Amino acid sequence: MLDALDKGLLKAVADLEDIPKGAYNIRKNGRLLSRATSANVNIESNAEGTGIMVTIAPGTVNESVHIPVILSQAGLYDVVYNAFIVGAASHVTIIAGCGIHCGGPAPEGHEGIHEFRVGKGARVKYVEKHYATGPGSGERTLNPTTKVFLAENAQVEMELTQIGGVDDANRLNEATLGPGSMLLITERVMTDGDQKAVSRNEIVLAGDNSRSNMVSRSVIKGNSRQNFYATMVARAKCFGHIECDAIIMDNGANETIPALKAEHPDAELSHEASIGKIAGDQLTKLMSLGLTYEEAVNRIIQGFLR
Amino acid sequence: MLELKDLYFSITETDGTNGGRKRDIIDGLNFTFEPGKFYAITGPNGSGKTTLAKLIMGINPVSAGAIRFKGKDITGLTITERAKAGIAYSFQQPARFKGITFRDLLSMATGIEEEAKLLDLLRRVGICSLSFLDKAVDAKLSGGEIKKIELATTIARNPKLAIYDEPDTGIDLWTIGPMVNLLKREQTEHRTTTIVISHNRAFLKAADVVLMVNRGKFAYVGNLDGALPMLTDLSICNFKPCWEGEEDARCFR
Repeated sequence: MLDALDKGLLKAVADLEDIPKGAYNIRKNGRLLSRATSANVNIESNAEGTGIMVTIAPGTVNESVHIPVILSQAGLYDVVYNAFIVGAASHVTIIAGCGIHCGGPAPEGHEGIHEFRVGKGARVKYVEKHYATGPGSGERTLNPTTKVFLAENAQVEMELTQIGGVDDANRLNEATLGPGSMLLITERVMTDGDQKAVSRNEIVLAGDNSRSNMVSRSVIKGNSRQNFYATMVARAKCFGHIECDAIIMDNGANETIPALKAEHPDAELSHEASIGKIAGDQLTKLMSLGLTYEEAVNRIIQGFLR
Repeated sequence: MLELKDLYFSITETDGTNGGRKRDIIDGLNFTFEPGKFYAITGPNGSGKTTLAKLIMGINPVSAGAIRFKGKDITGLTITERAKAGIAYSFQQPARFKGITFRDLLSMATGIEEEAKLLDLLRRVGICSLSFLDKAVDAKLSGGEIKKIELATTIARNPKLAIYDEPDTGIDLWTIGPMVNLLKREQTEHRTTTIVISHNRAFLKAADVVLMVNRGKFAYVGNLDGALPMLTDLSICNFKPCWEGEEDARCFR
């Protein structure tokens, strides 16, 4: 059912060697390839047939859901609307991701709109990897949208990674946090050549004692360009922090704009942003351990994007 | 072991009116470091101690003269090549990374990834806490912690020549003694030629030879006792050159 190409893409975006255990939904070239549900995790196509609805029963603990998308059909632009209803007090890991293999001159793209409704006290880890490969010259586009709503005391940790090979990416992350909830986002993006990536983030801290930390790590090689915009809006007594670091190599360009908006007197918001080359003292240290300049650069970038 | 021959490091100072003016930070040094000996380099701030150490490691380019290591001219070698030749360097202000742990640095320094061998290394450098291995070498580490990591990565290289630039900065009083003992043990057990830049008497005492640098030259070479008169002598205060013409300037040494 999975050919070598599919397996390669699945490995890259979901760390899957084969069909996963537990609940999963694998989408290939705009159509369902394979699906499994579990006692606590239900997956069904939505009424419009434009995506899936994943329902996780309250109290589900230590289960994972894999929902990778793979594309290898020239000229296809696949748009999908997925919804996740995470029951109260459940504890789950959701692994998404899109792998594109482009074999010819025609463009290929995927637009995944993911909406999460995370119930009271639920804990979700969401891992999303984007990757494109193949010998073709067609433009590979990935435009993910993630909308998260956190109920009281819910915790969501999101790891969003664009590993490489994506020519054009427009990412939108939106989150609304209820009382006592916590959202951690780590976004890692590496671009090279003439690639472009834009990330827009809007996090609304709506409930008392909600907390959020957004970390963005960008590596910009070749003539590529990355823009990062993040806004934290505080509407209650809350804590929010944005940390965005960009390493520029070659002729890369970067625009980073963190924004903080306090609409409540007890809001605590902060940000730190930096753009620059790899620090000289880091390179010197690793070279003094016997690494060549190129090896030192690789190790520093690997660590930075870890 | 390590020979410095007519070694110069010069910079061009710009002073507005006259354009550039050449200044020798390292001013024609000649010296031979003997294998397996422990050298302490001391001297006033700004006298050229760190600059000299960086010339030996290849971090600063030599302006004139030559450096020979184990009979070979290494003046034109890169930092990497010198490291591979057996020179290791502990930085005064160690680099802080993002996403790189102590374990990563040790593995890079040694090529070793097996847990048991890394633990052996920890024991050798006197770090008892195993959780230390997975500490991120980032801005959150305290000054003392990062210096211990720096020292450990230097020793882990099994160097023939180890250079430590002020290893005791940020280290508490209780740790300096063990640190001196550690470097002495490395010297005796592994015959590591050791160069320590320090103002700390514990390191000066431990040294076979004390080198006092002043204005880019060796003002004294010998044992600590012979250096004591100079260490207390105000005339080598290097504040002097800069207060000429400044009436309010005073030397506090």
